[in-house]
Amino acid sequence: MSAAREMLCDTARAVFAEAATAGIAPVEEAGFSLLLVPEEQGGFGGDWGDANAVLQIAGVLAPDLPVAELIAVEALQPAATVSMMAGAMGQALALSIEHVNTRQQFGRPLGKFQAVQQSLAVMACEVRAVEAAAAALAARLDTVGLDATAADLEIAAAKLRANRAVGVVTAIAHQVHGAIGFTEEYDLNRVTIPLMRWRTAHGNDAYWAQRLGRQVAGLGGRGLWEAMTARGA
Amino acid sequence: MQGFALYPFDPPGDIAALRADLRSWLAVNQPQGDVVARANCWASFDADFSHALGAAGYVGMTLPKRYGGGDRHPLERYVVIEELLAAGAPVGAHWIADRQTGPLILRYGSEEQRQRYLPGIAKGELYACIGLSEPGAGSDLAGVRTTARETAEGWRINGQKIWTTGAHFSHIMLALVRTEEGSERNAGLSQLLIDLDTPGIAILPIIDMAGHHDFNEVFFDDVLVPHGALVGERGQGWKQVTAELGLERSGPERYLSSHALFVALIDAAGPEPAPAIATLIGELAAEMWTLRQLSMSTAAKLAAGEDPMVEASVVKELGNAFEQDMPRRVQAIVDCGWGDEDDLAKLLRALLIASPSFSLRGGTREVIRGIIARGLGLR
Repeated sequence: MSAAREMLCDTARAVFAEAATAGIAPVEEAGFSLLLVPEEQGGFGGDWGDANAVLQIAGVLAPDLPVAELIAVEALQPAATVSMMAGAMGQALALSIEHVNTRQQFGRPLGKFQAVQQSLAVMACEVRAVEAAAAALAARLDTVGLDATAADLEIAAAKLRANRAVGVVTAIAHQVHGAIGFTEEYDLNRVTIPLMRWRTAHGNDAYWAQRLGRQVAGLGGRGLWEAMTARGA
Repeated sequence: MQGFALYPFDPPGDIAALRADLRSWLAVNQPQGDVVARANCWASFDADFSHALGAAGYVGMTLPKRYGGGDRHPLERYVVIEELLAAGAPVGAHWIADRQTGPLILRYGSEEQRQRYLPGIAKGELYACIGLSEPGAGSDLAGVRTTARETAEGWRINGQKIWTTGAHFSHIMLALVRTEEGSERNAGLSQLLIDLDTPGIAILPIIDMAGHHDFNEVFFDDVLVPHGALVGERGQGWKQVTAELGLERSGPERYLSSHALFVALIDAAGPEPAPAIATLIGELAAEMWTLRQLSMSTAAKLAAGEDPMVEASVVKELGNAFEQDMPRRVQAIVDCGWGDEDDLAKLLRALLIASPSFSLRGGTREVIRGIIARGLGLR
């Protein structure tokens, strides 16, 4: 990550932590609405790689605030949601790993049990897939100058992939946490409930699958491969 | 394990031109007709095709020129492999030699071994198999019992390998053997490069449930190979083998094994598919697009000299699940009889039967998930 993006992320972590209790005002005051505005128009001049990084942090610390709406134009809301989802899923995984390494049952940490390890490996695969999808979508959006139409295939693919990960990630995270994860006071619900909500936001699985499926059908079998390879490496 | 950031896939040279050249070459040279051979095509044996591919410079691409290789960047090779698999080209004959054995000989082999074997590999004429699994050991590779004892004349090998893909058409085997008497588990193992026409070797076929002959049992009865057959360091076989496995877990073959079926599904559906078919196509496309990003990023990390063992395992786990589920999901939606003879039906039948092997080869699903769990820091 570039030094500029590291600094941006440090700021985001501080501001979103404050916003978690204070509401959206600190985010507005810190100027995050100018993240994607070009420098010559008085903005920060960031790209979607920056937005992806910031939105992932928002997905962890301030998932209930309209950060995506503040940063991105309407056509890019689904892409912004994918980034928030990637952040929240990473947090669900981190909390789960921490819990199973700490909590002892039957005389050893839960993380020592093969069944628990296998579940968390499945969950980690889903989380890494969504993070990769968010990053690849960012790369595409930056290549086409944030033109949502030119990135429609990638937006649909990333949102659909993220949607489909929600069921697996939330189920395993709660399963390995046991009852403590189902309490109001424990942090897990602060990311799992938003994940459940985001699965429908800006189009559910059926919507994106249809949209992507019709695009691909239009390309044809060989055409799909040619399009994928032409649109990146 | 940190969050996943895409590692930049940045091959040198003109990648678009490389793809275009290979696509034109395939249009002329790829065998036509056998639609089933195009599915799971990295298991399809066609020596004529491998020779032609080698002559065109698409085998042994990353090997140095002085050994007959192409001196190309690993990511240029990646692009070529992608194109071959996406086209369903029959690359099974030279597959293991090109992917694993060649790079391993280059890295650990003696100068004599390099000069002797690498040019043939780069020509697509010299084929290799990997001697790891043994009866009673299965996925537990450290359970190797085949022995090689050093004598005045060379290494004397006794024992048996099993599930050895391609042994019946291979010229050499890179075998993991126990060279230290009384050693246990992953200590005391070494790698030997064995010419398969050496006296005392018997190769017996194992026919799989698809009716194919890919696997073999290989018996060693007092087989004598020269001292120079040792690859790398004596006693370091385990370390060398695990490095080798990294090369086979994250390539495009981990999500493109069923690609011919996806192509046939899309083409059969036409430009205006019924909603249920469009949904299925969309779901598969989203998965494939994501897997390609993961695989390319892992390849780039490998090419940069890092050891992305966990990322590679994630690609294998998700990729195998994808290519294994695809035939089942197509069968669940598409109206297609078991005995139908159109391309879609033939591919579907072949892949349904072949697909149980996808999550076995290169490490079983449970072993791979164990590697990922260790990478997550579960203790």
